[in-house]
Amino acid sequence: MERRELIQWLVATAGLPSLAFGRQIHRQPLRRSLSGHVERTLAVATERILPGAAEGNVGVFIDKMLADWHTAAERERFLAGLPELDTRCRARGGRDFVDGLEADQVAVVTALDDAVTALRADRGGAVANQHWFAMLKYLTVYGWCTSAAGMRALDLYPMAGRYDGCAPV
Amino acid sequence: MTQAREVSDFDAIVVGSGMTGGWAAKELTERGLRTLVLEAGRPITPERDYVEHKPPWELPFRGLGDRRSVAARQPMQSHSVSFDEWSHVFWTDDVDNPYSTPPDRPFYWFRARQVGGKSTIWGRQVYRWSDLDFEANLRDAVAIDWPIRYADIAPWYDHVERFIGVSGQAEGLAHLPDGPFLPPMALNCVEQHVRERIAARFGRDRVLTIGRVANLTAPHHGRAPCHYCGPCHRGCITRSYFSSVNATLPAARATGRLTLRPFSIVRSLVYDARKGRVTGVRMIDAKTKAERVYTGRLVFLCASALESARILLNSGLANSSGQVGRNIMDHIKWGGASGQFDGWTDRRVIGERPNGIYVPRFRNVSSRHPDFIRGYSFQGGAGRAGWQAALRAPGIGAALKQRLTQFGPWTMNFEGFGEMLPREENRATLHPTLVDAWGIPSLHIECQWSENELAIHRDMNVAAAELLEAAGAKDIQPSGSGPSTPGGTNHEMGTARMGRDPKTSVLNGWNQAWDVPNLFVTDGAAMTSSGCQNPSLTYMALTARACHYAVEQMKRGDL
Repeated sequence: MERRELIQWLVATAGLPSLAFGRQIHRQPLRRSLSGHVERTLAVATERILPGAAEGNVGVFIDKMLADWHTAAERERFLAGLPELDTRCRARGGRDFVDGLEADQVAVVTALDDAVTALRADRGGAVANQHWFAMLKYLTVYGWCTSAAGMRALDLYPMAGRYDGCAPV
Repeated sequence: MTQAREVSDFDAIVVGSGMTGGWAAKELTERGLRTLVLEAGRPITPERDYVEHKPPWELPFRGLGDRRSVAARQPMQSHSVSFDEWSHVFWTDDVDNPYSTPPDRPFYWFRARQVGGKSTIWGRQVYRWSDLDFEANLRDAVAIDWPIRYADIAPWYDHVERFIGVSGQAEGLAHLPDGPFLPPMALNCVEQHVRERIAARFGRDRVLTIGRVANLTAPHHGRAPCHYCGPCHRGCITRSYFSSVNATLPAARATGRLTLRPFSIVRSLVYDARKGRVTGVRMIDAKTKAERVYTGRLVFLCASALESARILLNSGLANSSGQVGRNIMDHIKWGGASGQFDGWTDRRVIGERPNGIYVPRFRNVSSRHPDFIRGYSFQGGAGRAGWQAALRAPGIGAALKQRLTQFGPWTMNFEGFGEMLPREENRATLHPTLVDAWGIPSLHIECQWSENELAIHRDMNVAAAELLEAAGAKDIQPSGSGPSTPGGTNHEMGTARMGRDPKTSVLNGWNQAWDVPNLFVTDGAAMTSSGCQNPSLTYMALTARACHYAVEQMKRGDL
């Protein structure tokens, strides 16, 4: 199964008490229209968080992490939080996040980032990192920094092949 | 019936192909012995199995590891500092290879079953012992005296260092003897500054030097110098660090006298009570589970400290002293401090130096500490944090991207590695019911720190802060963590100790079992005390020395 299909299925089944993988997936074709929207939302949101996220294939990485790394509880929290992008965007201009003006998208993502920052100050990193937007931002930033595009931009790839402990910045 | 044609009789059998098994293979074959090396795990082909240059985007989880698989199959192994999504294949499966501990006394038993063993994933720090260490038990009236002194092992340190290649800085310290070093790796700007400030404050009492490391800084016996890619524990296609796969096993193979049999799990030794000798080794094929016996005139146990003890216990051999499995030691860590340095903001590090700084032991060397005997060394280094420090930073968009490319302030850390005293109650026994996937009884391990180790751990924070303060660091933070879990430093040793008396030790001064003259144990099991130096160099030197002795004895007809 393609990863993009899996994320679609995950979105479709978000909130179910337990998620089983495997053949079941193919019994959910009707839900695909829902998840296409989520996939587009993620593509735009990651780009607003970190311009160039797409060239780092961040969407594929997030899909893989949600499917095979995060716990069911973490996954559900993430997917349950994601519609907040639409809610907040509609409150600003009446449109879903993906169809919103860039300025509104940036404002929505900034507000969510500020909320996580406030949570971090109030209740500490462990609590803040549980927030669905903190998850999204972490996966976006980490995914880009470990991508070919990101590592080239950060001067981490290709390797220097030498050591200089006192090089000019 | 093809198996019947396979040679099953050898001059020597070596159990284990790692740090010491590789040395035994090299030394024995080069002295003319047809040698069988039995390795429990799979073969390793560098071109296929080494993954140090695999970029994170080619991994399923980009370096975060397969969380579910690790939780299910490697919950203990994953505590090792060199366990990651690349290197996890070099560690054992905890389900197939179980062991137990008391619930309130965890012990990390890190195990590597493949050709090369843990020499593929080791930290490569190599430091000689001195008589400060070899005389310590006698001086302090702790446990038993070592049967050897520095003069006995010094030529073998030379022998091993010349072959493996050790880069380092000669410092002329009596308690950390120099060797035939390759050029040292460079300190970075802040480390150089800290070295000078510590020298100004402490003179020769506390010395900061570059780590002595089995990574090449010049071509050496056909191996290429280090290219500073960084993650040595994932392999090294240029063979620039020492491992048995990279160096000793090829040397043994070149003699034409090596037979290396992977997937060969040793269940026990075969003993002839009439002769008082081992006659061979009983092993299980890991894949077919078929059992067979190989015979040999000499047997070297090089399976790692706890595994060699397990084989002895499962064989019921070499244990008239009752010391097999006892006296487990590791090094206590997780004490130290870090601090920040103003300045050098226009400087950065290029490349990944697979090495750090070293501060040789300074406690109880020329003065006496009131709270503990023995001492500890520091390892660590200075650097500037990159994108990892900004993963949770506030901000989005172009500003966040800019932030990721910036370097943080220079920070330096010191992490202590403290000596552990041998105590009989820290022991491994055969578990009455627990067996591994091949039906071989596994170990129950009981091991905990004593007050001396805990006092050492507390002092690490104090002394590290003193070093940073002397160097002018700001925002000095002592380590906030408690002591490491025993076993967690991966320096487990002591389970078949050397000594002067068969009543209180398992091995004599030549790593030869008192009870079984043609049986040698030359891995970490042989250690009578733990020092605070990373121990592999000493294991290797003891192995080469024991091989020389065994072959001489054989030639004289005594074995």
